[in-house]
Amino acid sequence: MAAVAHSPRGYLDRPRPSGLADVLEIILDKGIVIDAYVRVSLVGIELLTIDARIVIASVDTYLRFAEAVNRLDLTEADDSEGLPELMESMTSGGAKSKTQGALEGVKEKLFGDDDGDDDNGKQRQRRSSSRGSSSRGSSSKASSSRSSSRSSSSSRSRAKPRSSGNSK
Amino acid sequence: MSEGTVYVYGVVDAADAGAAPVRVVVEGGLAALVADVQAGSVQAAKAVREHWRVLDAAVENATVLPLRFGTVMADDEAVREELLRANAEHLAGLLEELRGRVQVTVKGTYVDDGLMRGIVAGSPAVKALRERLKGLPEDAGYFERVRLGELVAAEVDRHREADTAQALTALEPHAVASRTETASAPDAAFNIAFLVARADLGAFEEAVGALAGTLSGRIAVRGVGPLAPYSFADAELAAGAV
Repeated sequence: MAAVAHSPRGYLDRPRPSGLADVLEIILDKGIVIDAYVRVSLVGIELLTIDARIVIASVDTYLRFAEAVNRLDLTEADDSEGLPELMESMTSGGAKSKTQGALEGVKEKLFGDDDGDDDNGKQRQRRSSSRGSSSRGSSSKASSSRSSSRSSSSSRSRAKPRSSGNSK
Repeated sequence: MSEGTVYVYGVVDAADAGAAPVRVVVEGGLAALVADVQAGSVQAAKAVREHWRVLDAAVENATVLPLRFGTVMADDEAVREELLRANAEHLAGLLEELRGRVQVTVKGTYVDDGLMRGIVAGSPAVKALRERLKGLPEDAGYFERVRLGELVAAEVDRHREADTAQALTALEPHAVASRTETASAPDAAFNIAFLVARADLGAFEEAVGALAGTLSGRIAVRGVGPLAPYSFADAELAAGAV
């Protein structure tokens, strides 16, 4: 997902800032912390940090795994659906299901309010291409939830109480 | 909240301040990499990019102590007194420890559904629950699906543990230290930060290549770096009495 420049040898990449998922994973919650007493807190940053944590550990992860094994067609040797495709749909901004809500919320935030480069264009592309690739499980919902990334905050708040009360 | 607050990216040796990609606040032997920000005007996406860009540029020429993303102080005076002077010894010590060393993050990603197939085949509980879910409408099976996902996640964790251990064995000999990070993507096999001496970067990269060859077809391996030592600068500084 990150656009990367290859080093001469080819085994080490340098992620560019457009690979925000990479960047977030590397920098969030890392680095030297100074005491809150001498820190000034800025609202945008606090929210981003909280959102990204929700993506990293949540019931979403379980639902994605369930989807991954459910999609396997064990009777057909040439079935090509699985995790790679799941990742593809997860990162493609698909309007597909509630399992994508939180991730999209953060992506929206990250890409949406930037005025600098071509992220907006890229996102439009991703969104439109995802419409064609709806999976069997949720194709009936695809049209009604076309704008699901906009409503990500509501799907997020729905997912939370469920996860805490009913993990059996 | 005052108007002119200061974002702090990191700390370098004052001797390296000349090559800094942004404005610096110098105090004693230390220099803080800073930028002026208007309180309340921060856009998260831009802030992330800036944080990354600045530290990325700084690590080219210097040993950098990255500060946690989102560190903002009242003004230059606060940076000078509360950060640099109050913690001078601590910061200098950390810089000395990390001198000439950079971070390389190595990530492994499962490349096809072989892992999932193995899990279904190897776990009767997963297999049974998967069968039961077949044909259930999406909403009706919600809790079962969460449960299934939980079972699969536990199996995935077992595989990740083994694969992480293999990566560590292959790469640790070429690194000074390592930190196993959370693998947040569902298809992530491992995510490990290594602290590597600049002089050993070539050897480390070759080892990454060798590991990629060994795991080829099962796990795709990717090294990201050299980076500022984000995962190895984890000190918490107290608000010092000046």
